[in-house]
Amino acid sequence: MRNLLYIVIQLLVIVMVAPLLNGIIKKIKAFSQKRKGAPIFQMYFDLYKLSRKSSVVSDVSSWIFKVTPYIVFATAVAAALLVPVSSLIAPEQIPGDFIMLVSILALGRFFIMITALDTASTFGGMGSSREAMISSLIEPSILVSLFTMGLVTKSTSLLPMMNVMKGIGFPLAHPGCITIFLALFTIIIAESSRIPVDDPATHLELTMVHEAMILEYSGRHLALMEYGAAIKQLTLITLLVNILIPHDQLIAITGIGAVVLSLTIYLIKVIGISIIIAIAEVSTVKFKLFSIPNLAAMSFILAFLGFLQYFVLGGCYVLF
Amino acid sequence: MYCFDILSLLILLSSFALMANKKSKSYIKSFRIQSLLIAIAAGMMGIKTIIEEGRFDVMVVCLLIIILKVIYIPNILNKTYTKAKYQVEKDFILNIPILILVCCGLVVFSYFSLSTIDGINDGMINVQVVNSISVILIGLFFMISRRKAIGQIIGLLVIENGLFVTAMFSTQGMPFIVDIGIFVDMLTAVMILGIMVFKINEEFESINIDKLNKLKG
Repeated sequence: MRNLLYIVIQLLVIVMVAPLLNGIIKKIKAFSQKRKGAPIFQMYFDLYKLSRKSSVVSDVSSWIFKVTPYIVFATAVAAALLVPVSSLIAPEQIPGDFIMLVSILALGRFFIMITALDTASTFGGMGSSREAMISSLIEPSILVSLFTMGLVTKSTSLLPMMNVMKGIGFPLAHPGCITIFLALFTIIIAESSRIPVDDPATHLELTMVHEAMILEYSGRHLALMEYGAAIKQLTLITLLVNILIPHDQLIAITGIGAVVLSLTIYLIKVIGISIIIAIAEVSTVKFKLFSIPNLAAMSFILAFLGFLQYFVLGGCYVLF
Repeated sequence: MYCFDILSLLILLSSFALMANKKSKSYIKSFRIQSLLIAIAAGMMGIKTIIEEGRFDVMVVCLLIIILKVIYIPNILNKTYTKAKYQVEKDFILNIPILILVCCGLVVFSYFSLSTIDGINDGMINVQVVNSISVILIGLFFMISRRKAIGQIIGLLVIENGLFVTAMFSTQGMPFIVDIGIFVDMLTAVMILGIMVFKINEEFESINIDKLNKLKG
């Protein structure tokens, strides 16, 4: 029963909120350009409209083209179920850990990449080769930072990690956690194809990465792809805020009121992070493709310094 | 609590940011940020010494850092380098990701070499000292890896920053006269270097140090 309740609340929160973040980021970008911008619920309208249209499938494409949108959406939702939005609603155990999270996301990305090759359009091949480069550069730093958190909390599963961090109180007061926070923030920017790495709003052939891969899609397939990307972004942000900025220890009341309060604080944190992402996106320009290894190296270094701080000062974490 | 640990880590990260940059403008900006962080650390140390011991000299040093390193020296360098022809560094000895990884190796090296020293550590490794010694080593490596004169000057300044931070974190505030001596040395060095670079740029039409071994006449 508790499992079922967890799944329902988790899906409701993540699936309903995911498109809102894109709306907020787009709104802030519009404000920075002195425009009024689309309403923050624009992505919901877009998805609704796209889902009512039939999709065009190329004659030369194989079954992979048709099956990929469903796989992408399913992997994003499965990944979302692994990261609890609040430790109050979580059951005793959630199967799977962060290694599974990374590999599930990698599965979806793999299918996006091969489907871009499937239609044999030139943009698709270019986009998937770029995506392969970026993801292989980013993956070491995501694994090193998550393994460091695993070493600190003595667990690889995300719910025990959240519970230990809840006991610590305010982990960002520790130098090791600050570097992990910055590393994960860089990873979120790279994974959700935001500006220094990729421009989500462009259709210029020289700069697009994620857009190039989904260029052939239309109608409800496109809706599933975009929805999957939004859910993936929210999952990663949830991972960041719930592990490094835990909030459930602040709630004194119990019962349904506590859950509602916890989810409200969670939403405030998520919106805060998306505002920071929007500011980062506004204040930088897109890097050229061959500068992305520099960014990936910086993010790896941040994760590695966090690991080093843990490794040398293992005793310090016990002090909390 | 962990304030000084966090500040020393941020100073180290700012020297990594310096290493990842290519433009002379961003070198100066990173140096300015690093000096600002050092000024904050010195200010906090100054408040601590005023409360505990009643000494005001660390506060004076903090003000001097803000005036000299955050405002004056970066402005001199900016003024000199807006006139230089080449603003972007092109020829590295290695590419930037490898340079950053080597710097990471330097940090690991200083962690492990300092863990054997008894005096500073008393039981647990003093992270602040380790981070600041890594800043010195990274400044040295920055001087090696850049070919333009601006890189050399900034590298020298970063080494000096690292030395100051190491002294401050390991002794809780150096004798006043030593700090002032180092500052005056630094200031004259930067002024002379700035004027010399300007002259070199005029004479040779470039500030690449590889071309300085050719005689002209």
